[in-house]
Amino acid sequence: MQYQSDSHHYCSSSVHTAVDPLERVVRLASGSAVVIFSISTCCMCHAVKSLFCGMGVNPTVYELDHHPRGKEIERVLTRLLGGGSAVPVVFIGGRLVGAMDRVMASHINGTLVPLLKKAGALWL
Amino acid sequence: MASQRLGEAALSESGPSHHHHHIPYSLPHMLHHPNTSFIRNQEGSAFDFGELEEAIVLQGVKINNDETKQPLYTTVRPAATLEMFPSWPMRFQQHTPRGSSKSGEESTDSGSAVNTLSTTRLEPDSPISRKTSSDHRLPPPQPPPQMDTGSGVDSPRTGGSQTQPAAKQAPEKTLRRLAQNREAARKSRLRKKAYVQQLESSRIRLTQLEQDLQRARSQGLLLGGGGVAGGNISSGGAIFDMEYARWLDDDHRHMSELRTALQAHLSDGDLRVIVDGYIAHYDEIFRLKGVAAKSDVFHLITGMWTTPAERCFLWMGGFRPSDLIKMLITQLDPLTEQQVMGIYGLQQSSQQAEEALSQGLEQLQQSLINTIANGSINDNMHHMAVALGKLSNLEGFVRQADNLRQQTLHQLRRILTVRQAARCFLVIGEYYGRLRALSSLWASRPRETLIVDDSSCQTTTTDLQMVQSSQNQFSNF
Repeated sequence: MQYQSDSHHYCSSSVHTAVDPLERVVRLASGSAVVIFSISTCCMCHAVKSLFCGMGVNPTVYELDHHPRGKEIERVLTRLLGGGSAVPVVFIGGRLVGAMDRVMASHINGTLVPLLKKAGALWL
Repeated sequence: MASQRLGEAALSESGPSHHHHHIPYSLPHMLHHPNTSFIRNQEGSAFDFGELEEAIVLQGVKINNDETKQPLYTTVRPAATLEMFPSWPMRFQQHTPRGSSKSGEESTDSGSAVNTLSTTRLEPDSPISRKTSSDHRLPPPQPPPQMDTGSGVDSPRTGGSQTQPAAKQAPEKTLRRLAQNREAARKSRLRKKAYVQQLESSRIRLTQLEQDLQRARSQGLLLGGGGVAGGNISSGGAIFDMEYARWLDDDHRHMSELRTALQAHLSDGDLRVIVDGYIAHYDEIFRLKGVAAKSDVFHLITGMWTTPAERCFLWMGGFRPSDLIKMLITQLDPLTEQQVMGIYGLQQSSQQAEEALSQGLEQLQQSLINTIANGSINDNMHHMAVALGKLSNLEGFVRQADNLRQQTLHQLRRILTVRQAARCFLVIGEYYGRLRALSSLWASRPRETLIVDDSSCQTTTTDLQMVQSSQNQFSNF
């Protein structure tokens, strides 16, 4: 698991320029094969992290309570999910998979593993 | 000692017409004497009932002047008639191992009488039934309630004193009286046997009633006040229990529909409608559980809505999907290779998902423990608020677990053909039906296993009989 406490993917200038929060999220999500937005104290986030680690995946995790832009990212995610809790949210291959229930449903119906393989997060 | 015999003599000698009525009534008074030395005497040296009668009569015991008799009768509590039978088996127990000369019905009595030792709650029907039984009974001068208060014993006492000199003077009359006593004793033993059998059936009925009561209470039908004072179930939990009971009834209906459809060899199209209807039925319970999780997550997660056997296997407020798959794998033959792969894949992914959720819940529990443990006196309310916030996450976990269950069932439907799916859901329904039946059987199993030695093999037989008779229930599912 890779924890990003700050946006290493951006050059320093982008931190100060007004980046649309949604754009920021998209950019963060596209940075790795598997991206999880989480809060360090959230237990459901711990569950989703355990799921991926148990499958042998190495997700990139953004702990929003430790992120300088955490609050606005949370707002964006809440909007993306259509309400409810902002975290955990999973992106695979830059595309939004969803919250815990969507992740689990896709794992059960067998679509998660092919998605992971296509994104390069899983090798057989 | 003598005073107790007085009791019997007093009642047994009040006159020929009343003789045989009093023998059964006299025993409770004797045996109810506070120091129960009579019982001890019986234990020490088993003697024949007939011998007792003769001993009493031939000794010509005085009854008038014995003052201890007064407390004997007045201390007889209304429960005396309840205890009259528990004390009898002591006599019978001694007779049985000795291969007594008494009739075989007595050993049966002792067996069943031992069982009734544990049942003292039921009102005695026997005195009332005795009152109404029509065989050879003349209206007794002392009906049992009067006997309890001791007010009715005056006449036999005086009657006894009157007949005492008569007994010494007319041995033939005495012998006739003894014969009548024996006859009365035999008849009373028969009546006792009937009474004991009545007690046994009442006991079984009582256990069933208790179960029904508990079930009804858990379904919130007996809240009487919205579960505030005496209720130990929230209204959300009670509402869910009622909905779940209704869902179970629907489940039976769906299952019989599935069964008939499979036997009738309906077309795939028709069968699909029924199978999809059954899946919608499962979707419904998950929806109801979601609503219940909002109002009372503890009710769901502790499994108070299920039967004890189901509760034993509970995982996060319901069944464990991977266990269900494991059970189904053996029952779903024949499957194509692709289907086998699909089922094993489903088992693996459900196991991984379960593991992830379990780890998340474990972290929640740890966090909760830390919050509660670190609550200081000054900061108590704050820590409580934090703990409450963490507890609210429980609902999320139960929701995700139910989601997992729902997705598993849907995936099963996708992997299998219509006919296979129909059989699969029938197997699932029957499996949980048996699990629920197991709970009921366990709850109503005979408790005589507490009594060891002589009755232990008897108990085993009863258990076996119970199991065999219950297997017929499974065919209903």
